[in-house]
Amino acid sequence: MLPRFRLTADPRGRHPIAVPVRPGQPPPEGCRAAADAAGFDPAAGTALRLDGVLRRPVWLVGAPDGLEAAGARAAAALLEEDAPDAPPGPAARRPARHRRAMLDARGLLPAEVAALAMGAGMRAHPLPFLGARPPPALHRLDLLVDDPDAAAPALRRTEALLRATGLARDLAAEPANRLTPAEFARRLTALERPGLSVTIHGRAWLERRGYGGLLAVGRGSAHPPALAVLRWAGAGGAPVAFVGKGITFDTGGISIKPAAGMEAMKGDMAGAAACAGAVLALALRGSPCAAVAVLAIAENATGAESYRPGDVLRTASGLTVEVVDTDAEGRLVLADALHHAGTLAPRAVIDLATLTGAIVRALGHQRAGLFGNDAVLRDALMAAGDAVGEPLWPMPIGAAHRSDLASDIADLRHCLPPPDPNRGGTGWAGKFLPDAAHAAAFLRDFVPPGTPWAHLDIAGMDVREEGVESGPYPLPPGPSGYGVRLLDRLVEGRFE
Amino acid sequence: MLDIAFAKPSLPESGALVLPLAEEDLGGLLLAEWDRLLGGHVARGLAAAEFKGRKGQTVSLYAPGGGLSRLLLVGLGKREALDAAGAEAAGGAAVAALGKEGVASIDARALGSGAAAADLALGAALRSWRFDRYRTKEKPEDKPRLTGIKILCDDPAAARAGWPARKAVAEGVFLTRELVSEPANILSPPEFADRLRKLEKLGVEVEVLGQKDLEKLGFGSMLCVSQGSAQPPRMVVMRWNGTDQKKRDSQPIAFIGKGVTFDTGGISIKPAGGMEDMKWDMAGAGVVSGLMAALAGRRAKADVVGIVGLVENMPSGTATRPGDVVTSYSGQTIEVINTDAEGRLVLADVLAYCKKRFDPAFMIDLATLTGAIIVALGNEHAGLFSNDDGLARRIEEAGRAVGEHAWRMPMGEAYDRQIRSDIADMKNVGGGRAGGSITAAQFIARFVDGCPWAHLDIAGVAWSGKDGPTVPKGATAWGVRLLDRLVADHHEGRIALPAPEPAVTEAAAVSGAGSASAALLSEGTPASEPLAPSPDAPAAPAAAPAPETAAAVPTSPARRPSTRRPRR
Repeated sequence: MLPRFRLTADPRGRHPIAVPVRPGQPPPEGCRAAADAAGFDPAAGTALRLDGVLRRPVWLVGAPDGLEAAGARAAAALLEEDAPDAPPGPAARRPARHRRAMLDARGLLPAEVAALAMGAGMRAHPLPFLGARPPPALHRLDLLVDDPDAAAPALRRTEALLRATGLARDLAAEPANRLTPAEFARRLTALERPGLSVTIHGRAWLERRGYGGLLAVGRGSAHPPALAVLRWAGAGGAPVAFVGKGITFDTGGISIKPAAGMEAMKGDMAGAAACAGAVLALALRGSPCAAVAVLAIAENATGAESYRPGDVLRTASGLTVEVVDTDAEGRLVLADALHHAGTLAPRAVIDLATLTGAIVRALGHQRAGLFGNDAVLRDALMAAGDAVGEPLWPMPIGAAHRSDLASDIADLRHCLPPPDPNRGGTGWAGKFLPDAAHAAAFLRDFVPPGTPWAHLDIAGMDVREEGVESGPYPLPPGPSGYGVRLLDRLVEGRFE
Repeated sequence: MLDIAFAKPSLPESGALVLPLAEEDLGGLLLAEWDRLLGGHVARGLAAAEFKGRKGQTVSLYAPGGGLSRLLLVGLGKREALDAAGAEAAGGAAVAALGKEGVASIDARALGSGAAAADLALGAALRSWRFDRYRTKEKPEDKPRLTGIKILCDDPAAARAGWPARKAVAEGVFLTRELVSEPANILSPPEFADRLRKLEKLGVEVEVLGQKDLEKLGFGSMLCVSQGSAQPPRMVVMRWNGTDQKKRDSQPIAFIGKGVTFDTGGISIKPAGGMEDMKWDMAGAGVVSGLMAALAGRRAKADVVGIVGLVENMPSGTATRPGDVVTSYSGQTIEVINTDAEGRLVLADVLAYCKKRFDPAFMIDLATLTGAIIVALGNEHAGLFSNDDGLARRIEEAGRAVGEHAWRMPMGEAYDRQIRSDIADMKNVGGGRAGGSITAAQFIARFVDGCPWAHLDIAGVAWSGKDGPTVPKGATAWGVRLLDRLVADHHEGRIALPAPEPAVTEAAAVSGAGSASAALLSEGTPASEPLAPSPDAPAAPAAAPAPETAAAVPTSPARRPSTRRPRR
């Protein structure tokens, strides 16, 4: 995992040092005159490089919005810095002058040191790069603290979360020709080393058990679908279940998506990746809470065997579903995964999925949508989300959302047909479908009765894009790992 | 309106008899009494039809004896779950089933108290409303013939006492439905304003401002919406003061409505399909109008201001162009990116004016504002945005009480940043299609100048494609009953208004040390989803809660660019 952290009380060294400066705090000794001359204002949240004041480059990093954001800002500054004699051109081609840097965390409590490290680690995490000259990366980040031993436990916890979030981000960033369902399963199996027990159910098993939703969605692809179950035993007891949508690439199927922007659909497994990361986080920090991640993995491709609009599928639970739009495939695979999670007698079930465009129209890129059947679980998720900077907002499942899904031929259908411009009579309001709520109403039918359940539609939150503000501090364009820390905090707050 | 009478129980001479029954009433005394009076028909018919009294179940027994044309049994469900909404629904179901009858009686004794009988009457009246003034060829036998119902109950005096207030609310609802149903060639802004003048008969003060008045006030934002239309704009300021305080001593509460009598989208024109629905883009104004009629009609002891901004949004040579920059009444400048985001432009001026002139205790605006709210919530919940948690909570509670559900939606600085403009104080849209109803609310929030405020986006609930228990297909008048209940529960007959509770601003993105949840937990739970009530969000500690205020409003800006003024 990069960068590697090291706690030290020794301030000596020639590598660049970044110093967080909170509003009202003076800049460090020796930097004051230069900072004043440059007009440095910590409240503005900028980073200022000072050469020549100490015998190493110094970055003063304004910290008006918390230490985690400051850590991210510091890492961004350290990564972007130009070597003075570097050739002109894009940053990715310049040689990395410094692969090592120091963060001045003196005077901070252990929790604050951990926050600084979290932000820096999130920002500095190198996403997969498959070309010849990878962009410069920070290999080592020394944390200058007053008492290394006191800060060590909190830092270890942070490192566990960074590893877990890094796993989720790396998986989501992998293009679909590399991360096929089989490869996804293989990488999950590698998580046995940190102490998870991993079972991959392949197509034969799915067919024997009648997992018609997952099988149908994955049938059009050259790569067969799979159901992955990752278990963390904890101290025993009923597990908390995380259920994830793992569509390694979503073409839409027969109801094919338009070409523009389809490359983003390699990330349609971010929900499953986050669930895997969450269980890994619990294992890495030795949580006493038992947990299980159930991941529905498939590629929704167009092919001779693709499932068709109008098909009626028999899901694992026995309910039959009429397919209306093959691009609403996430809820079909989740139906089977939710049923499977139910067979494990969980204390609670939380599913994560990059499910609908509707939730982005509803809540934008600032909050994920939260649906469910249990107020206590909902409140715990809201609190966890706010605490870690992965916020949510509760949304209703109305009676009409479920009654809209009535089918003439099967137990229910999974969505409404898109409004047909050629057929009149729907009016203006009829053009707008509350699809996120329809999906949630659909999923609710597959949750075992009496089990607390929450559904997180993370379609607006899983990826950071250029020019779109999302999340508490900027991250480079790419997967954000949304959900890993949220679930970890949920477990810590509610289930331990 | 249906003619309603309350009387002690007796066998009706003719016509239909409606018998609402709870599940527990089968085999009870009430049923036995009617069975005896009608010679055993009831028990036989009930058994044959397998009537179980389940909610919404209806069974008709024709010619049951006793000179009656029909006996209609209406199921109420379980007695313990029976509430005002259930009683109203029973009245509505009765009316829906009785279309061809001329005269009907309803035995309300199964519902219990006198108030329940009045609720039943209200439900019947609400459901019976019909908008058929443009039908010229309807045959008499196709029209509903029910003109009145007699409600039988043990205490007719109590029911009669509860009826006038409910009747006034029904009249208000009917006014709203009528205004919303009228097509746009009939209900232009001047015609709308003229109809509102009739509220003076109920004791409402009505002031109508036209093009020149609005120009003089500097309503650059509202006027840029109307400037492309042949119809002049109107702003109607209504005031009902039922308190015993003089106006100058009293701090009113205010309701503001978007009144776009037809929305083509303007130069950013809408697609043709479905555009006929845009005659109801004035539903917000319709609701405020009906609310004023209801409050005045029942002589509510409250001081209430209602303001509606009435415009027609058309494309033409004089219409506003995308990219135009206009100056609002508040002095803030707006870059108009999309002329189809016009409702917020109207509300901007009206809200700022209302705050300045009346300094109300709160402002609630209603608007059929965004398609995005329908994508978010569907057709059962209106979107609720607010800078005051207490006000939001009271609105949600009032909504639950009357069956008009509001669902709280988030706001915050990150959303607000999306409407920043490069050349003006703000744009009128932002963020592409993401979070469209939220950025609209952020826009409006910039014009409330610190006043406790709530915004109800009713685009999904103002018009219904199918009949409901008390709401026939068409204009729903969603909001009239909710706001009437809000006024009745919290703003009548007392001096002390509830204290403002500024919404906790979004917590600093990541505290790093485990902040207390700043989440605003809304409770709008439809009947299908029983949830335990959640504890209120803890109030923000020492950090002074800063409500989302509009930018400081200069009272008399030195020089403002004038908007284009077409001749009127």
